[in-house]
Amino acid sequence: MDTSSPAVFVNAELLKMYQGRRVRAVVQVMRNEGGLIVGQSTDGHQLTVKVSQAFPLSHFVEVIGIADGNQSIRAEICTDFGDTYDTLAYNGLCQLANGKFKNLFL
Amino acid sequence: MFSSQLDGGASVFSGGSFMPSQATQAGDSSLSKNRGAPGVFSVTVKQISYAYHSSDDKSSFVIDGVDATNFRLLGMVSNKAERNTDVTFTLDDGTGRIDIIRWVNEASDANETAILQNGMYVSVSGSLKGFQDKKRAVAFSIRPVTDYNEVAFHFIQCIHIHLENTRTKVGGPTQTQASPVMGTSFVTGSKEPQTPANQVSELKIMNGSEKDIYKLVLNVFQEPASLLTAPLPCACLFIRASEHGLHVDEVARRLGKPINQIKEAIDYHVDVGHIYSTIDDYHFKSALID
Repeated sequence: MDTSSPAVFVNAELLKMYQGRRVRAVVQVMRNEGGLIVGQSTDGHQLTVKVSQAFPLSHFVEVIGIADGNQSIRAEICTDFGDTYDTLAYNGLCQLANGKFKNLFL
Repeated sequence: MFSSQLDGGASVFSGGSFMPSQATQAGDSSLSKNRGAPGVFSVTVKQISYAYHSSDDKSSFVIDGVDATNFRLLGMVSNKAERNTDVTFTLDDGTGRIDIIRWVNEASDANETAILQNGMYVSVSGSLKGFQDKKRAVAFSIRPVTDYNEVAFHFIQCIHIHLENTRTKVGGPTQTQASPVMGTSFVTGSKEPQTPANQVSELKIMNGSEKDIYKLVLNVFQEPASLLTAPLPCACLFIRASEHGLHVDEVARRLGKPINQIKEAIDYHVDVGHIYSTIDDYHFKSALID
């Protein structure tokens, strides 16, 4: 069992606090640009994700990787979550997981 | 195979199926064990890393004060390895990684594991084995995740269960907005005047009668320490109490509450260390030293 490199649940606002650390976020794909996805985070702000593949527009993609900029993530793993997703629930989870219940996650 | 004794070696061969022996063992349990059969708790790997053995039963693990030997995890599969008799993989749920083994005894088990691939999200139900640092997880059910809202839901559920389990542990100062889940036909606001002042926390009676019960039961066990001028019946109890503690029936009789509520309260106090069992599973004494 190994809890050495957890991935923090973040939205755009929380991403700023975890620069250089492993994070996970769900973004809705707005456009693909070469090795980049520009997407909307679960709290409505724009995030850029450096990926190695393209994803269908308006699909929700979970990105797990390293936060390398105020609004940017360098992805290690991407998972297509489909075209319907409850962003409100995920956003709420981000806030809980970084607030009162941080000890369950990090 | 409802064996009542499960040691480390025997458990290796009973894995793969639903672990009925563990449920039976807990179902037969007397008061000294954790209450009821262990349920399946949604947890994170991080929480599992905190789990410890319950003191009286080395085969069960405790998280947040409840028996969490049976768990449910949700995460990504990696390092999948298939063998003749079992499949192993590492599950990464974002809070940590844990090794999982799934014993393959029948064709249905093999079908379940055949669809697993590295990089896919799965929900794993299983049980924890092993000692403090070397915890292993034996899965009895692995299900691929199809609706990814389940990912957020699982973690929210972990938080919810954690809240429920820790909320009733804390004494008076905790504000509980909603009444506890277990408060069914209890008499709420039963303002028993017999609670002596040797309790530390202020009891907010509005918080739900289960806390009332716990406080009352604890007070009964702690009364002999301070009651030398008690009426005669209590004094008799005091003499018996100092040898073997109090019998649960006696506590129920004194408080006039149903026996199952008393037993629940006793379980809780044994868990947190306020009381302990003496000559058998029905006699308890306060652990306070005066």
